[in-house]
Amino acid sequence: MNIHKAVITAAGRNQRALPLQTLVDRDGNEKSVLRIIIEEVLTAQIDEICVVVSPGDEAAYARAVGTSESMVRFIEQLEPLGYGQALYCARKFVGHEPFLHLVGDHLHVSHTGTGCAQQLVRVATEEKCAISAVQATRENVIQHYGTVSGPKISDRENLYRIENVIEKPTPTEAEQRLIVAGMRAGHYLCFFGMHVFTPAIFDLLAGNDSLSNALAELAKQERYLALHTRNRRYDVGVKYGLLRAQLALALSGRDRDEVLSQMIEVLASSNGSRA
Amino acid sequence: MSELTGIIVSKDPEIRNRSLEQFCSAASAATLLEECRSLDLFRRSSENLYERVRAQFFLYAIHRFYLPVKEGMQRTGLIPFAANANILKRRFEEGIQILLTAQASQGANAALSSALAAAYHGLAFQTLADQVRQSVRSVRGNQWMSRIGHPADYPLAIRPELLTKGSTGLYPILRETTPVRMDLSHSGWSDIFFLGMDFPEGARVLNASIDLAVRGSGEGSPQPPVEAYLRVIEEPVLRLTSVDLGGMADISSFAEIFDFARDYLGLLKAAVIASGMVPPAMEGCSEPLSDLLARLVGRGMGIEIVSRVRDIPKGSRLAVSTNLLACLISACMRATNQIHALTGTLGEEDRRLVAARAILGEWLGGSGGGWQDSGGVWPGIKLIEGVNATEGDPEFGVSRGRLLPVHHVLSEDEISSETRQRLQASLVLVHGGMAQDVGPILEMVTEKYLLRSEAEWNGRKQAISLLDEVVADLRSGDVRALGSATERNFFGPIQTVIPWASNLYTETLIDRVRSEMGDDFWGFWMLGGMSGGGMGFIFDPRSKSRAQDRLQAIMTETKERLETAVAFAMQPVVYDFAINQKGTSAELLTGDSALMPRGYYDLAVPALLRIEPRLLQPARRAELDRFGAACRTAPELAGMMQGLFERLLPQAAEDTSGKAQPLKVLLEQFGFDPAQHDQIRADMCNGRIGLAQNRLPVTTGIQDARTGDLLDATASITDSRFARIGLDALKAGEIAVVSLAGGAGTRWTKGAGVVKALNPFCRLGGRHRNFVETHLAKSRRTGRATGTLVPHVLTTSYLTHEPVRKWLDSVDGYNYPGPLLLSQGKSIGLRLVPTARDLRFAWEEMPSQILDEQKQKLRESLHGALINWAREAGEGTDYTDNLPMQCLHPTGHWYEVPNMLRNGVLRELLEQRPQLRHVMVHNIDTMGAWLDPSIVGLHIDRGAAMTAEVIARQIDDRGGGLARINGRLRIIEGLALPSEESESGLSYYNSNTIWMDIDLLLGAFSLDRRDLDDEAKVASAVRNVAARMPTYITIKDVKKRWGKGQEDIFPVAQFEKLWGDMTALPEIDCAFMAVPRVRGQQLKEPAQLDGWLRDGSAAHVNSLCDWE
Repeated sequence: MNIHKAVITAAGRNQRALPLQTLVDRDGNEKSVLRIIIEEVLTAQIDEICVVVSPGDEAAYARAVGTSESMVRFIEQLEPLGYGQALYCARKFVGHEPFLHLVGDHLHVSHTGTGCAQQLVRVATEEKCAISAVQATRENVIQHYGTVSGPKISDRENLYRIENVIEKPTPTEAEQRLIVAGMRAGHYLCFFGMHVFTPAIFDLLAGNDSLSNALAELAKQERYLALHTRNRRYDVGVKYGLLRAQLALALSGRDRDEVLSQMIEVLASSNGSRA
Repeated sequence: MSELTGIIVSKDPEIRNRSLEQFCSAASAATLLEECRSLDLFRRSSENLYERVRAQFFLYAIHRFYLPVKEGMQRTGLIPFAANANILKRRFEEGIQILLTAQASQGANAALSSALAAAYHGLAFQTLADQVRQSVRSVRGNQWMSRIGHPADYPLAIRPELLTKGSTGLYPILRETTPVRMDLSHSGWSDIFFLGMDFPEGARVLNASIDLAVRGSGEGSPQPPVEAYLRVIEEPVLRLTSVDLGGMADISSFAEIFDFARDYLGLLKAAVIASGMVPPAMEGCSEPLSDLLARLVGRGMGIEIVSRVRDIPKGSRLAVSTNLLACLISACMRATNQIHALTGTLGEEDRRLVAARAILGEWLGGSGGGWQDSGGVWPGIKLIEGVNATEGDPEFGVSRGRLLPVHHVLSEDEISSETRQRLQASLVLVHGGMAQDVGPILEMVTEKYLLRSEAEWNGRKQAISLLDEVVADLRSGDVRALGSATERNFFGPIQTVIPWASNLYTETLIDRVRSEMGDDFWGFWMLGGMSGGGMGFIFDPRSKSRAQDRLQAIMTETKERLETAVAFAMQPVVYDFAINQKGTSAELLTGDSALMPRGYYDLAVPALLRIEPRLLQPARRAELDRFGAACRTAPELAGMMQGLFERLLPQAAEDTSGKAQPLKVLLEQFGFDPAQHDQIRADMCNGRIGLAQNRLPVTTGIQDARTGDLLDATASITDSRFARIGLDALKAGEIAVVSLAGGAGTRWTKGAGVVKALNPFCRLGGRHRNFVETHLAKSRRTGRATGTLVPHVLTTSYLTHEPVRKWLDSVDGYNYPGPLLLSQGKSIGLRLVPTARDLRFAWEEMPSQILDEQKQKLRESLHGALINWAREAGEGTDYTDNLPMQCLHPTGHWYEVPNMLRNGVLRELLEQRPQLRHVMVHNIDTMGAWLDPSIVGLHIDRGAAMTAEVIARQIDDRGGGLARINGRLRIIEGLALPSEESESGLSYYNSNTIWMDIDLLLGAFSLDRRDLDDEAKVASAVRNVAARMPTYITIKDVKKRWGKGQEDIFPVAQFEKLWGDMTALPEIDCAFMAVPRVRGQQLKEPAQLDGWLRDGSAAHVNSLCDWE
């Protein structure tokens, strides 16, 4: 399996401005969120990227891409018909090849030297099938995420064969259908916002509104795996999400000590003013 | 391995199902004690739940029924106080250890065995309850709720559909309607969790979901009886309303939600918790509830939930409360997306989840039915069966069966629609009006199952085969055969397993219906735990209408005849019913339809009208506008305005005068002494008398009776001299019997105010007998045996006199051949609202049985609410907020003997029988008391003014006994003992059967026979002795009935003087006689009946009686 295309969805009505926000990356350079995501994608040897945007957003996004402009194409989602349909818009770009997929409002921070996307694409290439990065998530927040379950693959660390996918389950439903052997009580495997899909996904998306429903079908049709990652994801669309993402980048990068000392200063002075 | 352990662990059902009785009847005391040692070791080491529990039940039964009566067992012994205290605090293991140590030092004896039986019994039920609780929590879908303990972790959110206001400005309302369930089979209570989890193959029930309407109420066609309404509100509170109980509260803290007994909203609170809307782990959370609501609904927003039961009374045996709980839970789970379908019916998986949550809710609310009770969630008729636990189930390896059964909904291919129609056309459903506590019955069923007593085990097997017959009859559409099967089930296996499932009222109804309807009556059908409440009668469809009319009349007439003897909660009703083919179902009320049920506005609008319109929330204002418009147009709201007007301006004056007048009249009529009453009130309020002041000073010297202090009549009296003396006296007509029948039997009916003496408590000699009839039957037998009729006096009080008189008239005094006199009580008290001090003393200082964890929480919450009630109602004020007769109280049995002096009964008796010299006075519930010639002889020979009978104390004998108080041997009341510990040092308990020498007793009153004509002298003599008797303040429970079969129980203060204190008077020569337990034991609570029947006491009493 050779993966050299990626699709980034950024057409959500409430997230249009998020990929355009500027952050300081791990190397201390100011970059847009979109550019950081694209650089993440590029670590995985991807050479064609498609960004699905809302009508009229292309110009602003193009400016935010930075130096990789030549590798990036934009496709408009003409009507706001949801996440699954946004991905479906990229079907012609993808053609009949497997592809890497990321969402435009999440940043991923690896705890190793290897990028998150790079890790996922490597496993997908080895396993020759669709694969989603997942993260152990406590039951009190699973209602925000697509959640999967299935048995662990023997002899493979952190790999699961997905049997069930439910979008934003309640803990009640999760406990009934999504318990995964070996996980801590009350913890489930939730999407990390990064996937490698086979083109079969587009046939399934044609008849489904939601990506999770299509993925549940995909799991029945073909081998579909979950890679349990210890990396971190940051949703920049939630309250203080951008701040948390920035802190995560800064604390895992070159300026860690400087940022830490500034934070301590802020903490000390805010405590002082409260007193 | 011991023989009994072998039975428990055997894999062979033939051996495993062997009864304990078979072994124990033949075994010696030494063998049984050896078996007990082995069983105790085994129960400590076995890892299997049911092996442990069965061993505990075996130990209980051996100590309760077999060991105490074995040859060579000591009758007396001392139960260590620490053991008793541990048992009361549910620390059973520690209690057992202390008792076994005491057994090693004292030797095995009946007293210790009684305590060991109580401890093993408690431990067995605690083990089972813990396991069910753990299983309920570990059901998948329930577990997360015990992990989420802070609003910051709260994972649920309200569905967006409920957050969208319509054009009317109203939020949509989610309305869930649920049928109730009717048990079509009654397969021997096999749906009790403990049974289903040990014997899944025998746990089978056929039940139908039904809609109901009370016949003649003008409600129209049957409807699902329970409803829940849920909507979003613009206030950060949880607003709960129970329309039928009239309760409404805005809840803003977690503590209030978990305070179940604070108001009438306990069931709604349990539903909110069990649904996960406020997860159980939030108990104790100190954050404001609004933090959770902000996550659930949005900042500044809240939820309103309303429950409604359509005129179905409590105790209907149709599991109304469980189905209401399930209905509320379903609505809450739909609203929070835990169930995918917001409206319509539920899928099988969701139904099971709701049922599991309902079980959790029942446990939280301190109740607990069987697993079939939430059957209304499912549609139509279904066969519900236990399932073996398999790998992956949380129960696997713990119990043989799973907690939750499987429901097979029978299709129309299996039971045709014609059969369903035919069933509806034949079955008359009624509520007989009795509302009983089935809790003790469920415990008895569990116990008998685990002991595999032969008759009961065979009964269970018969019930299982009858279920197959019922299913076959339904499949073939033969409703007549169905009626025959359900009636055979009632008179056969059900009563074999639990005789108390039937009662005189039910059997009278069946007899009368059969005699009136003849062949058109096809059979009786018992619903649920016990009869007397919800019941079914099957008729030829052509006669159904007439049968409905006649049943209403027969029930009403029978209730009127029995209501002074049997506790009824409400007027009997006949239902119209229809099988519900949907199960629980929901719809979304939007736009103009988004209104709550009618009764809700009765409660909510008066308060809203008092708020300035500009201060009302916009949604509230919109609702009032819409409600006003609907009142003018919607037929279901017709007359609403008039009702509201009456609520706003209640006619208080008329109400109070209506109640006060008869009470005043009654007080005058019964000789109420207002001066004494005011004195008692003042003393109580000032702390001069009260529960704490009942007690003797701690410096009082208290010693147990010594050998030689007592006449011994515990074994058969070998000296024939006494029997001869007794027989001579009986033949000479020197002896009479006085049965004390003035009491209300508070513990017998939990304060229902019926006459205990007339309560048909047990089937003896082939039919139900009451206490009076049984005592007369004993006197009749003595009279026949000696050739001289025995005079029998029944003392009565204001409460019991007329009912007893009328009853005796209606049964021609049971054709009692001898003199039968009623001694009417002449004293009466008016109950008082207790002081908070006395309530605290009663509940916090005095020993009481600690309950199961959740029930205890509920009890403590209720106590808090009742202490507040006492403060608000006014401590020490007259208790008048109830039926007049419930506000009065008898003043203790001390007065009952002097009353015979004052009201002329003794004089009359002596005129008829001048030779009369002695009377035996006994409590109405001392069933074994009789004129045993040897005991008569012992009393006469001893020559004392009074001879008091005592029995060797056992664990349940609380409330004083025989003691040497500062050197004098006397009867001491439990109320007067300085501490609980002092009671545990007394070997003998007061049976309250006292022999009196009439002349010596009159002498103690400074009277003789001739003085009985002098009313003034007698009155003065009585007053003088009364003044020397201590006055005790006691707290009694009194029921207040309201609504449709609802009952509240209030604690009230009253005073009493007790006859046992006469033994303290130095001028009276008293003797004391130890008698066998079977003679001296008293029946204080209905829960004692089963043991009384099983240990041979009932058969013994029957042998003393001549019924005709």
